Amino acid sequence: MANTPAGTRQAREPSLNLLVRLGERLTSERFFGTALIAPMQLLLWFLLIIPTFIVIYLSVVAWEPRMGVEWWNAPFAFLSNYTKVLQDGRFWAAIARSVGIVVVAVGLEFLLGLGMALFFSRQLPGKRLMTSVILYPMMLPWVVVGLCFYLLFLDRGPVNYLLTQLLGPLAAVEWFKSPPLAIGTIVLGDIWQWTPFLFLILYSGLGALPKDPVEAALNLGANRWQIFRYVTLPMLRPVILIALVIRGLEAFKIFDLIFVMTGGGPGTATETISLYIYRAGFLFGQLSYAAAMAVLILLMITLITRYAIRPLEQK
Amino acid sequence: MKENGILTRGGSALRWVAALAICALFLLPILWVLSISLKPPDEWLAYPPRLVPAQTTLNNYVLLFRKGNPVGGISEMVSSAEPVTPAFLNSLLIVPIATLASLIIGFLASYGITRFQAGGASLPLFVLTTRMFPPVAFAVPLLVYFRALGLIDTQLALILMYTGFTIAFSLWMMRGFIEGVPRHVEEAAILDGASPWRVLFTITLPLIAPAVAAGWMLAFTLSLDDLVVASFTTGPGATTLPIRIYSEVRLGVKPEINAVCTIMIAVVAGALVVASLLAKFGAGSRARRAQTGGA
Repeated sequence: MANTPAGTRQAREPSLNLLVRLGERLTSERFFGTALIAPMQLLLWFLLIIPTFIVIYLSVVAWEPRMGVEWWNAPFAFLSNYTKVLQDGRFWAAIARSVGIVVVAVGLEFLLGLGMALFFSRQLPGKRLMTSVILYPMMLPWVVVGLCFYLLFLDRGPVNYLLTQLLGPLAAVEWFKSPPLAIGTIVLGDIWQWTPFLFLILYSGLGALPKDPVEAALNLGANRWQIFRYVTLPMLRPVILIALVIRGLEAFKIFDLIFVMTGGGPGTATETISLYIYRAGFLFGQLSYAAAMAVLILLMITLITRYAIRPLEQK
Repeated sequence: MKENGILTRGGSALRWVAALAICALFLLPILWVLSISLKPPDEWLAYPPRLVPAQTTLNNYVLLFRKGNPVGGISEMVSSAEPVTPAFLNSLLIVPIATLASLIIGFLASYGITRFQAGGASLPLFVLTTRMFPPVAFAVPLLVYFRALGLIDTQLALILMYTGFTIAFSLWMMRGFIEGVPRHVEEAAILDGASPWRVLFTITLPLIAPAVAAGWMLAFTLSLDDLVVASFTTGPGATTLPIRIYSEVRLGVKPEINAVCTIMIAVVAGALVVASLLAKFGAGSRARRAQTGGA
């Protein structure tokens, strides 16, 4: 589009110095704006748009690397991958597990984060240093958190040691061998790492609230619970929603922590949907099947976010 | 609420203790990793576990970078035959380049979007979708696609993907700040004869230093962090630190792996310090500008 006016001008004034024209083009506002976003758009095409088309294509063909054909020559399977996925109990179990982890972990992170935010919103000596200590876990790489919690819950690790000291020698538990306990350690790891995130958002949200309504309620004789329940909490609602949506979407993707701590086991006890896609695609070599699951997940998340964002838009 | 007396003083002391306990909960798991990394072989599996090692040694750190060294003579506890040096150097090369690329591309794009509305109103939200979907869902197509392009097991593949996966943060972080830069400052420079590109890098960029710092921090930790993307596009040619750690975590207590993790913990702490210095420097230069400019 930007080419046409420059092209006609060139035809009219052939004597114009090429460098001058180039300089003009580079400084014209329209071209400048387009040039500025061009690198990012290239990157988006390369890493988001083209892969999306490829994953959709892969999901409607029947292709596995061991077939010995290139994927673009694979026979069409149309929707058969999808019908197989939808009848796959393991797929639904993995989804249920992911959703369960989101609900439990994010719910607890929210309650703990809110409690901590309220706790630290009052005067306290050394508060700045303490809050930066609390925020540190969320900066840590997943593998480090995974290693931390793996070591803590080893059979002869510190957690079992504390349990035996507190409750007697029979209290030690083989954490990674029982399905519910293995999920429990993962949820605990997630809570440890991400409560700081909710704390950060809620704490800064609390700090930004106007002081007048609270004082007015105090003057009217409200007690602290009433002020929290009927004044602070409603004012904090938009912040809470944003925090829960961001964190919930992140938690649904959970992969690394489980990958490091249990690898999805024992059996499939800690297999979330991300892990199942990984196993199907990379361990079992069922690329088309994994692609169909990936497309279904992409659709699901798109739908969910559309509804999740709605309450954020009506402020 | 401001009565003075033993009761409130006792209450605030109690609150302080509670606050310290909360901090301890968030710090202790990290200290446990650090502690194991400093223990000599006979203490690794000691029961009861001790947080403070009876003896400390830096041997685990030294062994990391040396080839094929049995540790402590316990046969099943032989350290990995390969030193972590290649993985370490790979991370050291890939992460900073990707972070820098993400910041530069994000800065240019956020400027184009805020000042010229380039790409349409929905572009920023569209960029955000790169963060919404599970990376594994993209792993499937990227695997076949990168194989077709010959990018599998190269550092370039990881640099490209980390740039892509962190671009949303760079963009969103800087966008708000660029909106806050008054237009007349830039226009004044243009009237003085500066080219738009020069204005961009000498006027606008220094003014949004805190956003650059925050974006840098996020992009850096996210790229250093990644296990998913690296696990399907790399082999021996471009192993990163997280991959090395992952491959050995569940083989039991390995102090060298704790040493690698401790190094990563320290790197993150270092990145935090650099980010806060950058932000402070930027805020300082902004204050100076405001003083001299008299605005």
